[in-house]
Amino acid sequence: MARLLKNPIALVGLAIIALYTLIVIISQFWLPFDPLQMDVAHILESPSFRTGHLFGTDEFGRDILSRIMKGTGISLLIAVLATAIGATIGTFMGVWAGFLGGAWDHWIMRLADVLFSFPSLLLAIFVMAILGENTYNVIIAISIVYIPQFARVSRGAVLAIKNNEFVRAAFSSGADRRFVLSRHLLPNIMMPIIVQSSLSLSVAILLESALSFLGLGVQPPHPSWGNMLSSARKVMMLAPWTAIYPGLAIMGLVLGFNLLGDGLRDILDPRLRNIK
Amino acid sequence: MGRYIFRRLLSLIPVLLGVSIIVFFLVRLIPGSALQMYLGTQVEATPEQMEELRRIFGEDRPVPVLYVEWLGRLLRGDLGYSLRTGREVLPDILQRLPLSIELTFYALFLSLIIGIPLGILSALKHDPVTDVSIRITGLLGLSLPQFWLASLMVIAFSGFRGWIPMGNYVGLFKAPLDNLRMLFFPSLAIGIGLAAVIMRYTRNSMLEVLQMDYIRTAQAKGLAKRIVIVRHALRNAILPVITVAGFNTGYLLGGAIVIEEVFALPGMGRLALYAIYQRDYSLIQGIVLVIATLFVLVNLVTDLIYAAVDPRIRLETREG
Amino acid sequence: MKRLLAIGLALAMVAGIVPAVFAAGEEKVLTIGVDQEAIGLDPHIVTSFSSHRRVDLLYNKLVRHDENLKIVPDLAESWEIPDNQTYIFNLRKGVKFHDGTELTAQDVEFSLNRILDPKTASPGRSYISSIKSIEVLGPYKVKVTLSAPLASFLEGLASNNCAIVSKAAVEKYGNLQKVAVGTGAFMLKEWIPDNSMTLVKNPNYFEKGLPYLDKIIFRVIPEQASLLAGIKAGTLDMAQINDASTILLAKRDSNIVVMQKPGINVRTFGFNTTRKPFDDARVRQALSLAIDRNEIVTVAEFGMAQPTGPIPAGATQWALPLSKLPYYTPDYAKAKALLAEAGFPNGFTFKIVTANSFEGGLSVAQVIQNQLKKIGVNAELEVVEWGIYIDRWVKRDFDSMVELRGGSGEPDRFLYRTIHSTGGVNNFLFKDADVDRLLDKGRVLTTYAERKPVYDELQVVLAEKAPIIFLYCPFETHVLSKQVKGFKQVGYGSLYYLIQTQK
Repeated sequence: MARLLKNPIALVGLAIIALYTLIVIISQFWLPFDPLQMDVAHILESPSFRTGHLFGTDEFGRDILSRIMKGTGISLLIAVLATAIGATIGTFMGVWAGFLGGAWDHWIMRLADVLFSFPSLLLAIFVMAILGENTYNVIIAISIVYIPQFARVSRGAVLAIKNNEFVRAAFSSGADRRFVLSRHLLPNIMMPIIVQSSLSLSVAILLESALSFLGLGVQPPHPSWGNMLSSARKVMMLAPWTAIYPGLAIMGLVLGFNLLGDGLRDILDPRLRNIK
Repeated sequence: MGRYIFRRLLSLIPVLLGVSIIVFFLVRLIPGSALQMYLGTQVEATPEQMEELRRIFGEDRPVPVLYVEWLGRLLRGDLGYSLRTGREVLPDILQRLPLSIELTFYALFLSLIIGIPLGILSALKHDPVTDVSIRITGLLGLSLPQFWLASLMVIAFSGFRGWIPMGNYVGLFKAPLDNLRMLFFPSLAIGIGLAAVIMRYTRNSMLEVLQMDYIRTAQAKGLAKRIVIVRHALRNAILPVITVAGFNTGYLLGGAIVIEEVFALPGMGRLALYAIYQRDYSLIQGIVLVIATLFVLVNLVTDLIYAAVDPRIRLETREG
Repeated sequence: MKRLLAIGLALAMVAGIVPAVFAAGEEKVLTIGVDQEAIGLDPHIVTSFSSHRRVDLLYNKLVRHDENLKIVPDLAESWEIPDNQTYIFNLRKGVKFHDGTELTAQDVEFSLNRILDPKTASPGRSYISSIKSIEVLGPYKVKVTLSAPLASFLEGLASNNCAIVSKAAVEKYGNLQKVAVGTGAFMLKEWIPDNSMTLVKNPNYFEKGLPYLDKIIFRVIPEQASLLAGIKAGTLDMAQINDASTILLAKRDSNIVVMQKPGINVRTFGFNTTRKPFDDARVRQALSLAIDRNEIVTVAEFGMAQPTGPIPAGATQWALPLSKLPYYTPDYAKAKALLAEAGFPNGFTFKIVTANSFEGGLSVAQVIQNQLKKIGVNAELEVVEWGIYIDRWVKRDFDSMVELRGGSGEPDRFLYRTIHSTGGVNNFLFKDADVDRLLDKGRVLTTYAERKPVYDELQVVLAEKAPIIFLYCPFETHVLSKQVKGFKQVGYGSLYYLIQTQK
C-alpha cells in the first residue's frame, strides 16, 4: 500500500476513480436536473451557464450533465460486478484446472480456447441477443467474456506454483494439500488477478458502452454513457455536445482504471520494480 | 517445421468443431426466428405454406439433426445458403474479407509505427517526467472509446470529400489511392488504441531486456548505445510485441464491428452483426467459422514469425 | 503519300478512341443510398420497404399512382367499368419484358392468378381477393369480374404486390426473388447483398425517350447520418431520410435539396385489447386524452410530421379534421376521471414494446412515457432488438406497442386489414361489431358520396373506442444533390419518378 502511494501513475488513477465514486455518491442525493424529465421547450440547447445546463441538453431537452452523473453509477456498477463475477468464476475454473490437471484441465482450457477465438464484443453481442437487452444481462455478458481470461491467468499462476520446488517438497513430504494450497497459492495468485482485474474494469466500461452504443446494452430512458452516445449519434452533427461529454466521461474513468492497473503492474511485477 | 505446421493445422479441427457446435446451438437460443424475420409484420401465410416454409427454414427438425446435416454439407465444402437473401454464404463472406484484411493491416501498420518508437523512447528515458508523460499519453490512447473517436472523426472530417467512406468502399486493387484515403480514419480510430497496447509492451520488454546481463556486458564492452539498442535489445524486446500484435490482428480480422458500423463499411464485423439481427443462421455459422479459422491461422503465423526472429525458440517445444 | 496515310491512320485511331472515351464519361449514373437491403425482388412476395423500392423501377402494374396518389394508366392503356363488378383492361401494345418477350394478356391473367393463389402467400392477395374470374378477351384485353363490389379494387391493383410478371420467367425460375424479368424502365444488372445493387436502363422501355438515366446504383448504408454524409461527400446523389435530426442538418446545407411531403405511413400506439387493463375502453380513452400529438411530433420528429386520425391526414378527401374526433385533445382531468371510473384512481403500470430504429419508434415511446406520467400512469419501456420486436408482434405478446404502419390513402385498404376482427394485421386482437359493420359497408359501396359518411362515422367510432391511438404521419423526405432534377414524390416512398429524373 505504501508502494502504491509512491507510484505517481497509480496515484493519479486512484484519484480519478475516487472522483467518479464521489460523483456516484453525490448523484444519489443531488443532481442539477432530473435526468429523466423531458423539457420540450429546451431541446438540444448548447452548454451554457445561463440556463444551468452546463453540458447542454439532449434531443428530449434532458440535462446532459445530470444524465452523465446518473450514468456513472450504472457504468461503475456494471464494470465492478461483471469483473467480480468473471474473476470469481474464471479464477475458480483456472485453479481447478491447474491443480487437477489431466482431462479436466484439457477440457476446460479447450473451452477457453473456443471462447477466446471469438472477438470479445461479438461474444458479448451473442449473449445479449440471447438473454435480451437489460442492465443485468450486460453484466452477465461481460462476465462471460472475462471467464476464460481469468481462467488462463490463474491457471498459469497455479502451474508456476505447482512447479515451485518448495511446494513440490511440501507435497512429497505428505503435507496437507489444502494447507499448502491456502498457504502458497492465494498470495501468489492474488497479484496477477488484481492486475488483470483493474484492466478488466477498464475494458468493461468500454464493452458496456459499445454494447449500449449498438443498442444492446442499458435501455432508455435510463442513462448510460453508451446509450447516450448511441442516441447522440443521430443528432451529433446538429449538437456535438451530446456526443462529446459522455465520451469524455467514458474516457476519464477508463483512463483511471488503466493508470491504476499500470501502476499496480509496476508495483507487483518484481522484474520491473527495481528499474527506475 | 512442416510437421509442426501440419500438427498445428490439425489442432484447428477440434477448435472449429467446438466453435461450430456452440454457435449452432446458441444462435437458435436467440428469441425470434429466421422465418419470422422473413415474413415480417405484413404477411399472412396459409397453413400449408407455413408448413413448407418451416421445412425450408429447418424449423420442423430438432437442432442436433440440423447440425449433422450442416456438418455433412460442410465436409463437402458447402456452407449453405443465407436464409435471408437466398444466396450462397461463402462467396458473400469472402467478398467482405478484403476490406477486413485491409483495415486490419492499415491499423496494425499505424499502430506499429506509432507504438514501437514511443515505447522505446519511454523505456530509454530515465527522467521520470518524460517516462510518465509518455506512459500517460499511451494510456490515454488506450482509454479512448473507439466508436466515440470514430464518431468525432465523422463530425470533424465529413466535409472532406473522399476521406470519410460512408459505405462507399473501393477495393485496394481497383483504386489504391482512394482505398488508402477512405480507410485512413477508420484505421486510425482502431490503430490509436492498438498503438497504446504496443507501446506498453515495447516499453516493458525493453526495460526487461535492458536489465539483462548480456546487454550490460555489451554496453560495458563499449559498444555504442545505439548499436546495443538496435542490435540486441530491440531484437529481443520485439518478441512479446509480435505476440500481442498477432493476437490483436486475429481479432481485428474478425471485424471491427463498431468502426465498420460508424463508417458504414461493408466488413465482416457488420455482416456478423446483421446476420445476428436477421437470425440468418447459416450466415452466422459461416462467419464465425471463418473468423475462428483466421484467428487460429494468424496465431500460427505469429508463432512462426516469432521463431524466425528468435532462433533460440524451437517450435516443437512450444506446444502444450 | 506514305506519310499522309500514316497521319490518316493516326487520325482515324484518335477519332475512334475519343468518342468512346467521351461517351463513357457521359454515362449518367445515379447513386441512391438506402438504409436497408432488399429482401428479395419478387413483386408478388416482397414485403419490405427496401424491396418495394427496387420493384418500383423493375416492374409495372396495370395502373399506378401519380404524384397526387391518383390512379393513372400504366400497363393498361385504358379500362372500362361496365358495372361495378366488372373491369375490362386494354393493355399497351408492344411492351417488352427484360428478356425480350412481349407482354400479353396471358401474363396479366397469370400474374393475377399467381397473386390469388394462397400458395404464393402474396401480401397483394388481400387487395384483390374479391376477384371471381379473369378472362382473356384478346392478346391485349383482359376482363376481371368481382364477386362483390370493391371500391378499393383499382387502388389494390396499383400496389407493387400486384405488378405484372412474365409467365415464362416464373415458370423458368420458380420465383423471382433473385432475378428480375419485368417491364420496368430499369433492369437488374448486379446485386451484391448488403452492399449494392446496380440497375441499368431498359432500352426497350415502352415510354419513348425514357428513362434519362443510364444506371441506378443502390448502396446499402444503414445509418441515416451516413446517408447524408454520403450526399455531402458526393458519393451519393439521393437518399430517402426518415430521421428528422438528419433532415434538419440537410436543410442547413445549401448544396442539398430537401423534398418533403406528408406520407401515408401512420405512427400508431396500439394496445393488446385482450390484456388487462386495455380490455376496458375507458382506460384506452384516458390514455388517448393524456397524449399530446403535437408535442410528440415536435420532440420525436422535430416537427416533421402531421398529427393524424385513423385515416392518414394527407388523404384529405377522407380524413376528418382532428377537432372532430373525440378524445383527441389532451384533457388530464377527464383522463384521470376515466381511470378512476375504470378502477385505477392511482394509475397503473404497463409496458410499451419498442425498438431502437425508426420503425420501432423509441423516441416516440419515450415521449409517451413522459406524457403519461401526468395522469399517474407508469409506462415501462421494453426496448427490444428488431428481431425480437417482430417476434413479439407475431405472437401478439405485448401490452402496447409503438409501430409505424404502412397506411394508404384509401380507407378500405388501410383500415380493413388493420382493425376488422378478421383483418390480417389486426394484432391488437380488437373485435367490435360496430367497427366491423362500418368496414364491411364501406367496402361494398362504390361511389365516394356513399362511402364518405360511412368512413366519417368509422373515424369517430375508432377514436372513441381507441384500440389504437393514431399519432401522426411522418413526412416523406428525399434528400438530393443539386444536380438531380425532375424527381417527384408519390407519398409512400416510391422511386417510380426516377424514370423522369435527370442528372
